[in-house]
Amino acid sequence: MPTLDLILEVILLTVKVAVLTQIIFALPMPLTWLERKIAGHIQVRLGPWRVGPHGILQPFADAIKLLFKEDIVPDKADKILFKIAPLIAMVPAFAVFAAIPLGDTFKIPVIGAEVKLYLSDMNVGALYILAIGGLSVYGMILGGWASNSKYALLGGLRCSAQMISYEIAVSFAVIGVVMLSNSLNLLEIVKSQGGSFLSWNFLYLPVGPVWFAIFLIGSVAEINRIPFDLSEDEGTLSSGYHTEYSGMRFSFFMLAEYVAMVTVSILSVIFFFGGWNAPFAFLSFIPPIAWFMGKVCFFIYFFMWVRFTLPRYRYDQLMKIGWKILIPLSLVNILITGLMLI
Amino acid sequence: MLIDYLPVLIITGVASFMAAAALFVSFLLRPNNPYREKNTPWECGMDPVGDANTGHTRIPFFIIAILFIVFDVETLFLFPWAALLPDKGISVFIFIEMFIFIAVLALGLVYAWVKGALEWV
Amino acid sequence: MPIETLNVNLLSILPMALVAILALSMLVLDFFLKKGDKGAIGYLSIIGLLIVLPIASNAIEGAPAFGGMVIADAFSAFFNCIFILAAVFALYLSVDYLKRINSETGEYYYIVLFAVAGMMVMSSANDLIALYVGIELMALSFYVLTAFRVRDTKSSEGGLKYFVLGALSSGILLYGISFTYGFSGTTNISDIARLAGGAGANNTFMLLGVVLTAAGFAFKIAAFPFHVWAPDAYEGAPTPVTALISIGSKAASFAVFLRVFIVAFPAFQSHWWKLLWALSAATMLYGSVVAIPQKNIIRMLAYSSIAHAGVILIGIVALNGAGAAGVMYYLLVYAFMNMGAFAIVMYLGRVRGNGEYVSDYAGMSSRHPVIAFLMALFLLSLAGIPPTGGFMAKFFILSAAIKARYYWLAAIGVVSTAISLFFYARVVFYMYMKDAEGDSPAPAGRPALAYDVVIYITAAMTMLLGLYPAPFMEIAIKAVEPLIR
Repeated sequence: MPTLDLILEVILLTVKVAVLTQIIFALPMPLTWLERKIAGHIQVRLGPWRVGPHGILQPFADAIKLLFKEDIVPDKADKILFKIAPLIAMVPAFAVFAAIPLGDTFKIPVIGAEVKLYLSDMNVGALYILAIGGLSVYGMILGGWASNSKYALLGGLRCSAQMISYEIAVSFAVIGVVMLSNSLNLLEIVKSQGGSFLSWNFLYLPVGPVWFAIFLIGSVAEINRIPFDLSEDEGTLSSGYHTEYSGMRFSFFMLAEYVAMVTVSILSVIFFFGGWNAPFAFLSFIPPIAWFMGKVCFFIYFFMWVRFTLPRYRYDQLMKIGWKILIPLSLVNILITGLMLI
Repeated sequence: MLIDYLPVLIITGVASFMAAAALFVSFLLRPNNPYREKNTPWECGMDPVGDANTGHTRIPFFIIAILFIVFDVETLFLFPWAALLPDKGISVFIFIEMFIFIAVLALGLVYAWVKGALEWV
Repeated sequence: MPIETLNVNLLSILPMALVAILALSMLVLDFFLKKGDKGAIGYLSIIGLLIVLPIASNAIEGAPAFGGMVIADAFSAFFNCIFILAAVFALYLSVDYLKRINSETGEYYYIVLFAVAGMMVMSSANDLIALYVGIELMALSFYVLTAFRVRDTKSSEGGLKYFVLGALSSGILLYGISFTYGFSGTTNISDIARLAGGAGANNTFMLLGVVLTAAGFAFKIAAFPFHVWAPDAYEGAPTPVTALISIGSKAASFAVFLRVFIVAFPAFQSHWWKLLWALSAATMLYGSVVAIPQKNIIRMLAYSSIAHAGVILIGIVALNGAGAAGVMYYLLVYAFMNMGAFAIVMYLGRVRGNGEYVSDYAGMSSRHPVIAFLMALFLLSLAGIPPTGGFMAKFFILSAAIKARYYWLAAIGVVSTAISLFFYARVVFYMYMKDAEGDSPAPAGRPALAYDVVIYITAAMTMLLGLYPAPFMEIAIKAVEPLIR
């Protein structure tokens, strides 16, 4: 017999989930605008300009266009897999957020009620995120395979090989964080980095910066962004695994990519930059959520900045970095971290 | 304990529902006019030759997949170890054990490397 | 968990750790050797194994170590010696064999070493999890080795069959282990008897666990009806590997069979003896009847090894000290006589380019009188004719069965021995009574020393075990005493 508290909690959870999902669903709209604006300014252009002031309504125009686009399913495609692959790519990207805290608790100013800024305080959060985040690769390889198009197949294969190669490095980096923070729970990991910025995992010398570098490089490869976006290399593969997709299904793949970018930014902040902790004790009057959002925004900007600064790697270079540099480096780093902790 | 995993179910359901809703709205609005040329796989305007998904892939992808399994399972073993390591009573013992484990796996990586399994070209 | 309760005792895992280290160092050595020098790895592996042999044979009567995962007792020491001897013989023959089939690689040698390490883990496992890890390490190595002649379709076929069926049997075994764990709440072999015995001895799920575990083991020992992989795998595998599979894999599987059924499941004996009784009888009869029409001598030896598995099972059904010791003694004898027979098959392949078919043995007594005599010795020992080791082994097992009042099973054992005499004697008949058809190719030079050494040593041991079994039997009885309470 469920108690009243339990029912209330479930209702509260559902409301929180609904709000969060709406936000994430809408998040790519400002992000695409931002990305194109940043691209424009880095390349000494203006970027979107026509639709609305500074082109700010451009994403809405795009969304309307995508909604009105025909949903083309190639004749030779595996129809069922082709249709559900975008969902398989998208839903895990959302499900990851079940374990991601956006803050500890938040006091709503007027009514004084406390709201938890996390959905689930699960004790294996880090492992859950890696596991569910890794599921997206199925959507991409299935989408590429089901299209029955050569470009899509190659894109899907490249994408999956790349994602699984770098997944190992990312897992090692997370293990490094778990060793430093002594917990798999994300709230605990943030708590262990409290105080000043000196206790952030990033500054746990000498291993912290190395872990962060491994995590960052691996994550960029995981989310298929330049310089590792070999799976949708326009020059050789037209558009990679989503060559045959159009309309809303295409937009789901894009959505998954943007959400993954936000996830990785949030994880970088939580794992290495103290989460919502202020860098100096005397700055703690600024609400934690502001610190958190500020740091996350920095990383989102960073990923966009990288995209328009670096050239793309060749595929053999990509594999070389993954297997011959990052993994041996992680193995050595694990042992050094272990030696420092025992 | 189990309530911690309820959000997973809810968020999966809500995300699936929103995706389905978006698809439904698009279904009401979009045109539907397929014809043969439009429905062929995109191949720069040429007629596609043969099926793409019959598995003409390079073996290195397969080798990478096998290596991934080996190392991914290794990382799974490392997670509980990493969370337990600072426990002073057993830390030295489990560190040495994990050192041996990692050394054996590193030897496996070296083997794959020397035998050329990691060479892509 | 406080570290003291783990009972970290490195001595108890020393033999297997040494073999694993040997395998890994051979792997590293392989990087530095040129294509033609890979035989050096084989010789170094043999030397390494011979160094480990005295360490492995030195049993330390200790409590279970590493939280009850492993135990180094006389029982495991006895089996470790069998594994190491079999591996030494197989590796010694392999060096020349690999040169002949033109696939000299370093991998072969250290995969054999990994298989040996797996067998040693099996023999000293005191926990179902450690046992499973050992089985998998051994089995995975053998899957690879079976398919080692990559350009030969038979080898690939055998390897694939072995792999697919082996994976299935591992699944069945794991299912049995999980039922056992689910009911008894532990995977520790010595605790299972304590926790699951008594009142729970009639529990359906526990019995299901026992049955499934027995099925998993029966696959590994190639008992009927789980034998289908054996003839194809034996025929396809490189012949030294065939010898090692039929000896080492079988001995290791019987080691875990004995330990699990004697230590963990004695409370269910009233149920499982019927199962194993039927398994044993069917295996003996099937193996010896189906071996008769075989033209390929390796297939014939494969079916003969199935029949032997049935005979050895009698020792487990009997569930007394004499039976278990008989199993160990049988496996020791089997190691020598079977290795000798395979060595002669390989020898003929080397000097004459044939020897695969029974008809190739026609007129052998005049061309290779000594080898023909020794082949006859090995085959008669496999058949169980006195005064060879095979006779003593069968004698111990059957007398244990009679002591435990399994008269019918003993009778079936005798009948199957009589049937098996038919196909063993056929080869002897070909060697001594028939003349070779047509011109046989001239001997192609002197074969490697390895063949002579292996053949003579195994022949001497087969005779010794037949004429003077007392000390070996005494070791075996001492080894099983702590298991049977």
